[in-house]
Amino acid sequence: MNISPDEITVLQFSWFHINATIFVTWIIMVLLVVGSWLVTRKLTSEGPLSREQNLLEVLVSAIDNQIKEVGGHTSEPYLPFIGTLFIFIAVANILSVVPGYIPPTSSLSTTTALAISVFIAVPVFGIAKHGIKLYAKQYLEPTFFMLPFNIIGEISRTLALAVRLYGNIMSGSIIVAILLTITPLFFPVILQVLGLLTGLIQAYIFAILAMVYIASASKTHQNTEDKGE
Amino acid sequence: MIIDWYTVMFQIINFLVLVFLLRRFLYGPIIEMMEAREIKIAQREEAAATKASEAEQKAHDYQEKVASLQNRDEELLAEAKRKAENERRMLLEATRSEVDEIRERWRQEVYREQESFINEMRGQVGRQACLIARHCLQDLADIKLESMIWEVFLQKLELLLQEEETLLLKAFLQGKRLVITSSFEPTEERLESISKLLAERFKQSVQLAQQTNTKLICGVELEIGGYRVAWNVDEYLEGVEKDILGYLYQSQKEGLPDAEAEL
Repeated sequence: MNISPDEITVLQFSWFHINATIFVTWIIMVLLVVGSWLVTRKLTSEGPLSREQNLLEVLVSAIDNQIKEVGGHTSEPYLPFIGTLFIFIAVANILSVVPGYIPPTSSLSTTTALAISVFIAVPVFGIAKHGIKLYAKQYLEPTFFMLPFNIIGEISRTLALAVRLYGNIMSGSIIVAILLTITPLFFPVILQVLGLLTGLIQAYIFAILAMVYIASASKTHQNTEDKGE
Repeated sequence: MIIDWYTVMFQIINFLVLVFLLRRFLYGPIIEMMEAREIKIAQREEAAATKASEAEQKAHDYQEKVASLQNRDEELLAEAKRKAENERRMLLEATRSEVDEIRERWRQEVYREQESFINEMRGQVGRQACLIARHCLQDLADIKLESMIWEVFLQKLELLLQEEETLLLKAFLQGKRLVITSSFEPTEERLESISKLLAERFKQSVQLAQQTNTKLICGVELEIGGYRVAWNVDEYLEGVEKDILGYLYQSQKEGLPDAEAEL
């Protein structure tokens, strides 16, 4: 039994190999992009909306509202990043109802990659908004001696972000696999349903936490600016 | 729990690519479309608000127009009522005055008829009374009365006023004829006594022409050139008739208010 889809190799060209994680991620990417393109190429702003357009609008506006609730009145710069995090993780988890599907989020490499993206995105958004000086200043808050702890905090929360998602999804997959061998009829189905719920919740948690980190960085800078003024 | 950094790098790249692609194919168009719709909805709401305010304004205008029309109607109605009332009063007044006029005319006509009837009746009564008196006197007239009449006439001639005598003399001197008229045939003596008396007065002889007229009731009359000296009952009767008629007319005038009141 493979614990991680990273260990399943799909393609191999000397050192270049494509494992199941990357392959499934590509499939998900293709599904998302093609699906979005199919729907958004015939968008209309008047008359009755198609069900697909309606669904995407509901989804996008819901993410938009969540970002606004957490991050303040503007959502425009964060929407693609946070929205993609949520949609990618949610779709990756929901597809686990497909038999034989291995969610890429059950790979620690994927969750780490996503967490690193968040880890990089936080300072990128912060610096883009307020400049590097103000952003760097927050690591010296409240005193200079807090710098190491602030850095450790940044790293640990990124690690927690990665491990939380990985642990939940991986555990779900493994439990289902184990239960299939013990009680193959009924319990795996329930756990699959629970896994869907867990997957959606995790997607939501991951996206919201990412937004909270980005927003907290921005707000900290704003507070610092306010104090400076 | 192994982290495959090769996979991590791939996944980071995959994720960034996915972010880019979804931004290009999902968020961009959807957000753009939603914003376009919001703008259109806002425009529609604005247009609706404008139209609503316009409609409100129009409704207000119409209400004002209706109110002014109602006021105008009321004014016209009041004017028409006033005119109708004036017209009614005028017509009523005209009718009343016409009725009054007709009534007055009728009253006057009735009054005139009544007056003429009463006049006629009074005249008839007076005349009949005098006629009765005349008939009585004619019936009672005899020689004794005749002689008394002649006596009275002679006295009257004797007592003629100077002016009357002058007038008679003047007529006599102009050659006018002296005519003595009586209701009875006079005797020669009486004629002679009259001639004698006149000769004394005129200081010359006179010729008398004599004629009889029964209409002179118990009377004698001397006439020359339009001047006349007479005594007869008819004169008195005429006076009586005049008095009677005068009295009757007076009582008629006094009775006029009653007649009007009756009308």
